[in-house]
Amino acid sequence: MLPTEVASPFDDPDYLFEAWWPGARAIASCERGVLRLQVAGLADAGASFPELATLSAQLAEDGTMLDGTLLILDPDGRPDADLLRQRLAGAGRPGRPAYVASDLLWAGGQSVRLNAFRVRRAWLEAILEPGDRATVGRGYRGDGTLLAEALAPLGVDGISARHLGARYRSGPAGDAWLRAPIVPAEPRPRPTLALILRLPLGE
Amino acid sequence: MARSLWRGAIQFGLVTIPVKLYLATESTSIGFNMLHADCLNRIQMKIYCPHHDEVVPRSDTVRGYEWSKGRYVVMTDAEMDAVPLKTVRAIEIEMFVDAKREAHEAQFVKQAYYLEPDPMGAKAFELLRQVLAEQGKTAICKIVLKDREQLAALNPYDNTMLLTTLHWPDEVRSHTELNLPTAEITVKPAERAMAEQLIASMTGEFSPADYRDDYRAALMSVIEAKVGGEEPVPAQRVEPTKIGDLMAALEASVAAAREARRSAAAPAADAAVPTSETADADQRPPRRRRSA
Repeated sequence: MLPTEVASPFDDPDYLFEAWWPGARAIASCERGVLRLQVAGLADAGASFPELATLSAQLAEDGTMLDGTLLILDPDGRPDADLLRQRLAGAGRPGRPAYVASDLLWAGGQSVRLNAFRVRRAWLEAILEPGDRATVGRGYRGDGTLLAEALAPLGVDGISARHLGARYRSGPAGDAWLRAPIVPAEPRPRPTLALILRLPLGE
Repeated sequence: MARSLWRGAIQFGLVTIPVKLYLATESTSIGFNMLHADCLNRIQMKIYCPHHDEVVPRSDTVRGYEWSKGRYVVMTDAEMDAVPLKTVRAIEIEMFVDAKREAHEAQFVKQAYYLEPDPMGAKAFELLRQVLAEQGKTAICKIVLKDREQLAALNPYDNTMLLTTLHWPDEVRSHTELNLPTAEITVKPAERAMAEQLIASMTGEFSPADYRDDYRAALMSVIEAKVGGEEPVPAQRVEPTKIGDLMAALEASVAAAREARRSAAAPAADAAVPTSETADADQRPPRRRRSA
């Protein structure tokens, strides 16, 4: 499923809205207790994220495939895209990895893709026990603009909207999954000097 | 407050204001004693002469100043007392300077003292304090403390005055040896604007009460536990960050955004709108705005 870009956040009770955390889209599959993490361009990123191997223990059913976001949290608990890039590039293991699950493709060795997202999501919440490293993302039904307002001060630049009645589609998702950008509110309450350091000062 | 540690007088021109000095700060760091690991008795420091290979009593020592490598000149107590010092028992005001400029020049401070006037000097003390405050001036003065003449700044502070001893100019090291950015670095306007925005967003009122020495508190709690015969609790390690914390931060932010909307909508509710449900419906943005 590939998201469709829309112009701005909106409100619609048929959609479940979530934060578009600055991380990497990742399909996590657990079979016989073994976790595989599929990240765009990489067959198995699991080796770079050994801390997430415990994810399979949080799942009530084996033969499960999750759609979600791979994050690296900095010491303040905030997702850091730079640290994630370093990890994916194999440059050490900075930060603390986390996985936020949003959707369910397989459960108990069966595909659940033909079910409506409403059903898949409830199923996901039923089988994934929230832990320190992996959890189901917080979803807000209908309240897209509210969520966008709440996320702007956290420095998150987009929201995800999944249609509650849509089945899981391969390829472009059409109306089933939308991504809306958040215009950052100003001023941001917690900027860091790292932002300055990242600027190409002095050429 | 504790005993005053100095009595003397502020002097400027023909005015003399008798005052007492109190330490304005105290060191709260935790001191340890050196014990012998076997018997836990206090270790004694003996003064030892390697030439005679013997322990020397303190009374058999003299002050020596090493004026060149291995060569000393001996200063007796009598010679020390005879050193001419004008500023004995007095805070001699040398000049008054603009407080803002002085703050820039006198950043190398040693120690702060509160001043307390003797009853007979109270009026002159208060007069000096008020005029300094109104004119935004700082008095630069000299004072002899602990046998040493010290440079100090006198500033109004609340309903008293604060005497801050300063380092002499020749005690302040030069910073020219540091590797500092030179003027060649060019900064683009956009970079400057971003830095300015970051600084502006973190600008606030400095309130010292918000800061404390966490290390000292943690160390003290371990010591108190040991004194009380308890097994010291290992210091709390900073919890590794959890994904749940991020979700909690998100929820708090959503709650805050919801609250902000509710209070923004509240005045409209006074107008003839019967329920908040309909008020919400009126203010809802368009259902869907799709890109072309």
